[in-house]
Amino acid sequence: MSMMWLPHDPVLTAALACATLPFLAMAVILIFTRPYQRLSCAVSVGAITVCLGSALYLLISLRHAPAPVEYQWAWIISSDMIIPFGFLLDRLSLLMLTIVAVISFLVQVYSIGYMHGDPGFSRYYAFQSLFAWAMMTMVIAPGMLQLYIFWELVGLASYLLIGYYYEKWSASQAGKKAFVMTRLGDIGFFLGIIAVLLGFGDLGILHMNHAAQAGDIHPAVVTLGALLIFCGVVGKSAQFPLLTWLPDAMEGPTPVSALLHSATMVAAGVYLMSRIFPFFAASPDAMAVALVIGTITMLLASTMAFVTYDIKQVWAYSTVSQLGFMVMSLAAGGYFAGVFHLTTHAGFKALLFLCSGIFIHEYHTNDMREIGRGGGRKLTIPMICMTVGALALAGIFPFSGFFSKEAILGVLAAHPNKLFLAAGLLGALMTAYYSFRLIFFILFPRETSEAAHHHDEAHGHGHGHGDAHGAGHHGHVFWAMAWPVMILAAVTLVLGFFQNELQGYLLGLEPVAHGHEAAEHGGHGLGHYLLLTTAVCLAVGGVFFAYLEFGWKKATQEGFLRKFPAVETLFANRWYMDHFYRKALDLCVYCGFTNIFTRNDRRVIDGGIDGICRFTVGGGRAVSFLQSGMLQYNLVLMVAAVGVLVLVFAL
Amino acid sequence: MNSLSVYLTVAAVLFSLGLFGVLMRRNLIGMLISIELMLNGANLNFMAFNRFLAPEPAVGQIVALFVMGIAAAEAAIGLSIILALFRRLRSINVERAQRMRG
Repeated sequence: MSMMWLPHDPVLTAALACATLPFLAMAVILIFTRPYQRLSCAVSVGAITVCLGSALYLLISLRHAPAPVEYQWAWIISSDMIIPFGFLLDRLSLLMLTIVAVISFLVQVYSIGYMHGDPGFSRYYAFQSLFAWAMMTMVIAPGMLQLYIFWELVGLASYLLIGYYYEKWSASQAGKKAFVMTRLGDIGFFLGIIAVLLGFGDLGILHMNHAAQAGDIHPAVVTLGALLIFCGVVGKSAQFPLLTWLPDAMEGPTPVSALLHSATMVAAGVYLMSRIFPFFAASPDAMAVALVIGTITMLLASTMAFVTYDIKQVWAYSTVSQLGFMVMSLAAGGYFAGVFHLTTHAGFKALLFLCSGIFIHEYHTNDMREIGRGGGRKLTIPMICMTVGALALAGIFPFSGFFSKEAILGVLAAHPNKLFLAAGLLGALMTAYYSFRLIFFILFPRETSEAAHHHDEAHGHGHGHGDAHGAGHHGHVFWAMAWPVMILAAVTLVLGFFQNELQGYLLGLEPVAHGHEAAEHGGHGLGHYLLLTTAVCLAVGGVFFAYLEFGWKKATQEGFLRKFPAVETLFANRWYMDHFYRKALDLCVYCGFTNIFTRNDRRVIDGGIDGICRFTVGGGRAVSFLQSGMLQYNLVLMVAAVGVLVLVFAL
Repeated sequence: MNSLSVYLTVAAVLFSLGLFGVLMRRNLIGMLISIELMLNGANLNFMAFNRFLAPEPAVGQIVALFVMGIAAAEAAIGLSIILALFRRLRSINVERAQRMRG
């Protein structure tokens, strides 16, 4: 099919390539090449490389396009309702497509090294291709229904990849939890789609945005639709209250965490919000709700990162917190700031996870203290890149995170209620603190007295590996993991300086004008510099505070929270959210629904069938009286028959 | 007092008592007597209809005579069967006559 378009329309070919090649790769791997690990890997990586090329081609060739390029085919036709399938190639979707393609590519290359020797190698790559297919087609979806379908497929890929080590009970539970929790959000999302369909009649994104802006849609429909669709965002992007699945999702392999649960899948929620931003912005109530939820999420998740010793969990909580930050930005009207932070966050968060993956791969432990004691600081490339990522996360100049955080804080400053700005600044401080807590744990490890001997061995071990980073029997494994990390670190260093170009690209000729945008590119007054200085001071302050507590020679590495054990327990137990969910689940679902359905199954369904059996047996027993040889029983039957005949003829 | 329905009621009562006896008695001769009772009830029914609804042709009376003759013949046969059965079972309890094999 794509051959027909090849000479005529390269844009469509490129879009089709992105939308079909990874699916074909997955099918080929699952059906044919499953026993051949390296071939499967080659198929998957080959597919994603072509997709990367197509995405870059689309981005570059359409960067000056005056209007979005849209392709649509009628897919399901039912009397006068036509559900289309197609591609919407406008600035935002191409930017996101490129992000997804780049990070998928880097993660798949990284996985060559990380997952080397794993028995389920082919299966892993098949699911990676599935994810790439679903995510890319979701990003360029022109209508809400297609977006929803691929949204769910992305959730499926997430479930399969989180539960990749399915023999481990906690991993399969985590996969199930992720899927069910996001599904819960998706119920709201689907109801929102139906609300929009019933209230407006069309699910095309461009049409929806345009009509909402022009005021053609009834405000109640807009608010209801926006609120319900935001439920989907809450589920997928791990906002409060559906945020506990993301830390558990760290059971999956680290490249999966880097790809799905930091850069792309969870960003799908934020992407959705920016995709239908004009529709959302037409409802101030929905924006207010989203702002509050984003703020709560950001602060809550940051606190949870203070007390955990698992390296991946810190970054997981950080992702939740940063997603909350992005939602805050979008909900306060900062379209470009939110999307810019999405882009930079994808870069440095994937970087952080991939570096953590290298440490985990070397030391076979997730505990940051163990990694530090094992000699983590000796692995120079991952250590440097991780520090780069953490600096970007904390928002230190000149890394990309600094620019995007400033943009968001600028948006929050323009919001009438300064409480959100205060929350944003507090969040920046906390982010700097917990990210450098981790860095200092690894850089300046403390040995416990029992672990002294082990430390000496491991120290030598780590030393040996650190020095011989090209030599040794897993040399190529290390470089497969090191190159993506170095590329991402380089991107993190320079991306921030492209803020203006990106802003021009994204907002350029868009007819949508957002009131707060003026504050973004116009605010170079005193207030802006004051905000800049405050944010930088807070970030540096957070780093310094972490240094005082964890990095300094005289530091106890205990953290100030040790003095408030109740608070520490609260944070460590995720504010008892999991406990709450467990109780609610036990009460409502297991005692309530499950009970009802079990009783129904046992009494009504089984009981009914058993009843029929008993009736048949009983009937047989009754009829067997006629076979007993007793003359009089037969006579009774004859009399009864005559009686019935009499009645029949009498009436 | 001298109406059709009285006679019909008496005939019905006789018939029912006979029916009840046939179905409930264990004694074979008791069952035979109950059958005679049923025949008498039917007979009375015929005569009642003959008297009240069909006065001139004496069809009912002839039928009644037939019934009495047939009742007598049937009683004779019934008693012979009971005798034959007694020789086998040494009892006239109908519950003893349950084996259905030859």
